[in-house]
Amino acid sequence: MLVRSAELWGGLFWLALSAFAVWAGRDLGLGSLHDPGSGFVLFWLGAIMTALSASVVLGALRAPGESLSSLWTGKRWMRVLALTGMLVAYGFLFEIVGFVAGSVLLLLAVMVFIDRVDLRAAVPVAVLVPSAIYYAITHWLKIQLPVGVLAPWLS
Amino acid sequence: MDILTNLALGFGVALKLSNLLACFLGVFIGTLVGVLPGIGPVSAMALLLPVTLSGSPEAGIIMMAGIYYGSMYGGSTTSILVNIPGEAASVVTCLDGHEMAKRGRAGPALGMAALASFAAGTVSIVLLMLVAPTLARVAVAFGPPEYFSLMVLGLTVLAFMTQGSIAKALLMACIGIVLGLIGIDQITGIPRLTFDRMELVDGIGLVPVVMGLFGVAEILANLETVLKRDIVKARVGNLLPSREDWRRSAAPLGRGTILGFFLGILPGGGAVIASFASYAIEKRISRTPERFGKGAIEGVAGPEAANNAAAGGAFIPLLTLGIPPNVVMALLLGAFIVHGLQPGPLLMVQSPNVFWGIVASMYIGNIMLLVLNMPLIGLWVQVLRIPYSVLFPLILLFCIVGVYCSGNSSFDVLVMVVFGVFGYLFRKFGYEAAPLVLAFVLGPMLENNFRKSLLLSQGDLGVFFERPISVVCLALAALALLAAVLPGASRQREVIAKDTV
Repeated sequence: MLVRSAELWGGLFWLALSAFAVWAGRDLGLGSLHDPGSGFVLFWLGAIMTALSASVVLGALRAPGESLSSLWTGKRWMRVLALTGMLVAYGFLFEIVGFVAGSVLLLLAVMVFIDRVDLRAAVPVAVLVPSAIYYAITHWLKIQLPVGVLAPWLS
Repeated sequence: MDILTNLALGFGVALKLSNLLACFLGVFIGTLVGVLPGIGPVSAMALLLPVTLSGSPEAGIIMMAGIYYGSMYGGSTTSILVNIPGEAASVVTCLDGHEMAKRGRAGPALGMAALASFAAGTVSIVLLMLVAPTLARVAVAFGPPEYFSLMVLGLTVLAFMTQGSIAKALLMACIGIVLGLIGIDQITGIPRLTFDRMELVDGIGLVPVVMGLFGVAEILANLETVLKRDIVKARVGNLLPSREDWRRSAAPLGRGTILGFFLGILPGGGAVIASFASYAIEKRISRTPERFGKGAIEGVAGPEAANNAAAGGAFIPLLTLGIPPNVVMALLLGAFIVHGLQPGPLLMVQSPNVFWGIVASMYIGNIMLLVLNMPLIGLWVQVLRIPYSVLFPLILLFCIVGVYCSGNSSFDVLVMVVFGVFGYLFRKFGYEAAPLVLAFVLGPMLENNFRKSLLLSQGDLGVFFERPISVVCLALAALALLAAVLPGASRQREVIAKDTV
């Protein structure tokens, strides 16, 4: 069914993005051929992208191919979703929680909830690896990592 | 004579203790990441880029280069023993290498892979040494129009070489250029596509983009499938190939070396394409093509020689023109820039110690790899026994550390996650990330050279068609596009791609 075609939705997504590039290019100023403006290249790239996206959409109209849902049928997509969620949370809390505490929690969560690892292996790995990395990065490479909630002990 | 003097200078640099150590670390880490499925040379180089900052530029670049050609060696071990390619250039080695292993011939397969890699790697360094100075002399005459056209050719060829739809590959290249434009316009000083975010004023970092598209995306893609590891249980015995093995492999090894070297130089080419092309050619010209896929040693020798020779060849456009021909070289370009060096025609004149030091270190690195690979195969087998459920969280953590250290910003970690999700979706929807990353690196240079050309020619677009090198590059790019869209040639392109798998 055409409406469910993954190819069609992919093409439409890029078509929208291409339209945005054209608009942003125009907004930044095209200038002239003698003195191209900041938006000149962006505008023309957007135009090329529009043509390419349109060809993807037209291709999907001729041969819809796989449906969107079939891309995930029989796959363990919940694990992908869970890991993505954990990574986003980690990214937002990175500065507040700190590298060591955040990484221990991330590794434990991944090894407990996503891909079951025996706790006797998961806990030492989750604690020792971030601690060792923290030590190596801050002492040998002299790069500061956020200390977060462990500031009283790590500062 | 000049070459010998320069090579002596290079060995003087490469044999310094710190550079020898950097070379050893590079090839060792390269072999390790080649062995480990799920982390390739691109991720490893992005990860270690900040680490190289603490040493000299030569040591940093030598280490990064070592990771690249070291990974070409390591990838074959996983392909042969586990039937999972350690990295993309070793995909075809699985076909015959693992079959040989299942028939109790893992030793000769591993031995041939290492020896073919060594021979091809060494020949490609000799060719690099001979070709690079000549090309650098020619490149001095390059102006903005030539650079612009050469980059267009590189991106078009890469799009042509990718499997699947050319429209999608070109679309990825365009998106890469757009992403590369984010930040302050170098000519007018106007911020572009920054959405009033201070973090975007300097643009998006290469490391988070690469780590996301290749590292995180690979992990996400692996998570939703059940990874089966068919590790060969039998002891890996004698590694030396027999006389009959050598008789069968000599010609494929030679052809693979030459083919790989030139495909490596080609903008948009690289080790992956070289190994596939070598396998396809050997299968086509063989008197017994039915043996391929069933343990033919020439199916290991040819592609392994090709991917290692391509790794050597790929240094030529970067070192002589300053243009990376593939994603790995784009990262190496980043490493040069981070160390305050500008690769290009003047590198040999301004920093001969760096140029010839890298070349000499590649000789040393190749010998190190041969010495390392043969006795350490047992260790690599043990590494491969680490369960993926323990390995992938650690790879993820290394990605996070590498990204954070590259920019000291937690925003980069989020950028990596976003690109990881996009990379995963690209795979699902049949879009390749390689053109995007190469275009992302080339984008600002491409735009700069385009605008400079127009300024110099006072708005005359004919400037791109008046200069011979520029015309040749644009004509070749147009040919590649035509070949991709013409029905007959397009079918042939797909046949070649399918023939190898």
